[in-house]
Amino acid sequence: MSDNERHNQVSINRRAALLGSLGAGVFGVLSSRLYYLQILKAEDYRALSDDNRFNFNITIPSRGRILDRYGNELAINSQNFSLVLIPERVKDIEATLLKLKKILSLSTSNITRIKKNISKHASFVPVLIKENLDWGTFSKLNFKTPDFPGVIPQVGLGRSYPNDGLFSHTIGYVGSPSPIDLEDDKDPLLKQPSFKIGKTGIESSADKLLRGSSGKLKVEVNASGRTVREFPNSNDAPINGQDIWLTLDSELQKKAAELFGNDSGGIVVMDVLTGEIRTMLSMPTFNGNLFVSGITQKQMDELNNDERRPQYNKVLAGGYPPASTFKMVVMLAALEGGFMNPKDKITCRQKVNLGNRTFHCWKRGGHGPVNMREALKNSCDVYFYELSQKVGIENIASMGRRLGFGEKFNIGLNGLKSGIMPDPKWKKLKLGNSWKVGDTLNASIGQGFVLSTPLQMAVMVARLANGKDSLTPNLIIGQNLLKFKSLDIDSSHIAFVQKSMLAVCEEPGGTAYKKYGLDLGQLQIAGKTGTGQVRGISEKERRSKLRRDEDLPWKLRDHNVFVGYAPFKKPRFAVSCLVEHGGTGSKRAIEISRNILKTALIRDGIPEGKKIKSAVATDV
Amino acid sequence: MYNLLLGYKKTTSKLSEINLLLVVLIFALGLLGVAMIYAATGGDWLSGAKQHFYRMIFATFFMLFIAIIDLRLWYTISYPFYIMILILLISVDLMGVTVNGSKRWIDLQIVNYQLARIQPSEIMKLAIVLALSRFYHDLPRWRVSSIYGLFGAFLIIFIPMFFIMRQPDLGTTLLVAATGLSIIFLAGIKWRLLAGFLIFSFISIPLFFIFGLKTYQRERILTFLDPTHDPNGASYHITQSKIALGSGGFNGKGFMSGTQRQLDYVPENRTDFIFTVIGEEFGFIGSLSTIAIYMVIIGICVWLSFQCKQVYSKLLILGFTITFALYIFINLAMIMGLVPVVGVPLPLMSYGGTVLLTVMTGFGLILSAYINRDSKLPSSKFKN
Repeated sequence: MSDNERHNQVSINRRAALLGSLGAGVFGVLSSRLYYLQILKAEDYRALSDDNRFNFNITIPSRGRILDRYGNELAINSQNFSLVLIPERVKDIEATLLKLKKILSLSTSNITRIKKNISKHASFVPVLIKENLDWGTFSKLNFKTPDFPGVIPQVGLGRSYPNDGLFSHTIGYVGSPSPIDLEDDKDPLLKQPSFKIGKTGIESSADKLLRGSSGKLKVEVNASGRTVREFPNSNDAPINGQDIWLTLDSELQKKAAELFGNDSGGIVVMDVLTGEIRTMLSMPTFNGNLFVSGITQKQMDELNNDERRPQYNKVLAGGYPPASTFKMVVMLAALEGGFMNPKDKITCRQKVNLGNRTFHCWKRGGHGPVNMREALKNSCDVYFYELSQKVGIENIASMGRRLGFGEKFNIGLNGLKSGIMPDPKWKKLKLGNSWKVGDTLNASIGQGFVLSTPLQMAVMVARLANGKDSLTPNLIIGQNLLKFKSLDIDSSHIAFVQKSMLAVCEEPGGTAYKKYGLDLGQLQIAGKTGTGQVRGISEKERRSKLRRDEDLPWKLRDHNVFVGYAPFKKPRFAVSCLVEHGGTGSKRAIEISRNILKTALIRDGIPEGKKIKSAVATDV
Repeated sequence: MYNLLLGYKKTTSKLSEINLLLVVLIFALGLLGVAMIYAATGGDWLSGAKQHFYRMIFATFFMLFIAIIDLRLWYTISYPFYIMILILLISVDLMGVTVNGSKRWIDLQIVNYQLARIQPSEIMKLAIVLALSRFYHDLPRWRVSSIYGLFGAFLIIFIPMFFIMRQPDLGTTLLVAATGLSIIFLAGIKWRLLAGFLIFSFISIPLFFIFGLKTYQRERILTFLDPTHDPNGASYHITQSKIALGSGGFNGKGFMSGTQRQLDYVPENRTDFIFTVIGEEFGFIGSLSTIAIYMVIIGICVWLSFQCKQVYSKLLILGFTITFALYIFINLAMIMGLVPVVGVPLPLMSYGGTVLLTVMTGFGLILSAYINRDSKLPSSKFKN
């Protein structure tokens, strides 16, 4: 071996040893790094590993039902048949969608949405193809699923409203939370897919009660987010929403809708002892289910283009002149203030001149001399023009408020209107000019500035019928303690008004007289009609005999109003009914009210008595 | 009679000289790899564990076959083999198969029948060691630091490096560079030249970082520098593999009980991240033992090199040992979050055929150099 080779050997060995120790050093570094990770930081990493591993899924409580006073279901959670697709189990998504498109008649925009959702989520996340399938389609699909691997029919819970929309205005409907809802309400439930919250009506105002609170479910998830295992714990179960019982009677509501037919308007039936609302219906109504399942543009247009405004809650939010039904307010104000002896007569010559303005009575030729009772029975406008000038607007407005006009009642719903009970202060504030005597005259017959809702009219008549309590309406059972303030009106004055109202309905010549009255034996009905003017009547029209309300276009016809209660002797139910553009004479409103009171009394346990020949009031 | 293939010694006597401890440890790590792949795939024998097992058996026999071949054959074919692999590497650049954005594979086919898909850059790791060993064996020591010696070594290393970088494959490029540099160092380059080169590297690396790297490679290194940033993006690998290791603690969670592993949080845990499965399921004890076995294997190899007297044998053994050690260093440092994710597998344990074959061929050559340490190779052509 040459020196060169030996030298090489030694040199290489030395340098190899050097590199070897460098390598040992690197191993030392790696080992201490392992020590750091696995011994010193083990706890931290174990926690991180559990964070990875476990997740809490939110579990959804079932929404409380909404029931009527007898427990009939008005809003329920019904089985909702839907079809979902799990992308990872579908071989050819394109072909599958094409085949489903034919069966389900999916639109192109639906297909686009489905494809977008497929690409947005992990491939094991089910994508909704279509929900709210009818049973026929659903069972047909169940039969065909072997042909569609990865397409799964599902049964879930969805909100549904039986009763064909009879309660839509009151109950409202649910919908997906809007960005504003998500901003205002931090409840994690709102972020759950397909979770719905109340949008209108009771669904919205009692949403927190109905919703309940979410539970949680510990799950083990893998890196792609798929749930591998569940660890249910009964302590973490969701708390289901409460049922809400309403004071409504769904049979009575149904009857009211039948009576209304195609007419537009609203009706309220109230218990005059408790203030409970038995029926509250705005007509025409709409089907709340449409809003839950996704309303189509065409359906939306149909609702919006209907001149009867189906979505508008006329009972709570409508502002209508109470018309002649307001005359009771003027009467009571006069009696309470002692401004007029009810027996004194005022002669009606069809018109009253005030400065350069003329105020007319509805009756051609006038009523002649009438006392207070006859004035109400025949609804003489001139009597009240004269009377109101004696009483003054301040007293009238004060009495109006005592009877519920201008008040926004708390019945557990949003969107109630207060209407207008005008007085000089109001006019100065709102219109900036001073009160004129003519304004008082208009107000005396419930026209002019006076606006009210059908609910307020019902409250007025309920308070008159009750006579003692300042009743307030209530809609949700258990929300009202039934402790009312005293009405504080002389009972003899109340009795006089009541008897006058009886005359309206039960005496021949009364504006709401009908031979057989309620058609319930001895039971009698008391009430008052009203005709709300939609438009001014010109002098020319008034002179010509040609003007007849029925000849006018629907939109220009007068509103029909009727308020009343029954039975006269022991008042039980009050009703207020408004038929929009129902024409002069209140025939429709009277008819509907009379029938609804009859049904309400029968449902309350009064036997359907045999017909009597004469229904002339005995109390008069 | 001189037999080019087997030399003078009898095959049986050669086999008896094979270092049995080395073979046993190598095979043991291979079997540990089988078990870990089995665990990583959630107890599925057919998703890799079985293949790795059979590959391991085949590769062990292949290693022994290489071991008994006379060293002079390797010496003779060192340059032709290197040139052949270099041609394959260049043809990858011209007509390679692109997988995951990298052109690393070449399909060997006759007409339209595909024989195999090979990765020339892997084989290049062997060829470069063979070529450099031969280069320095033939080179007198005094010329190691001369222009000729430097330029020759530089060519042998740089030409393949250039093509591997073009694929692009940063991990292999660095591996080849580091191996080559180590061999130059072992061959006896003057310290001041080495120092000069290192200083030059420190200056040129930032330039290389800016101009020589693909965007994704740059991103990998940048996210490494800030591992908390973007936890679901590129540094997700590092974060999750650290969680897997750390949550294993001292004892580990037990075989087949690693939650990170079960729930697929660690990506590629069958291949590059196989060590995280050991760390999670066998804890600090298991990881440290595994590292210790690797160290013992490296130690044995260094000891084997000391037993050889010829430059070619020594450099051959040390060259492969360095390649093997670098694989382990880079892989472990990578999964422990010490260096960027560069895609280097853990030899013997990671699932993957080419790497296993490369490493086992390397061990075959190491054993061959040791067994045939007495075979006389032609001595240096240049005399002092």
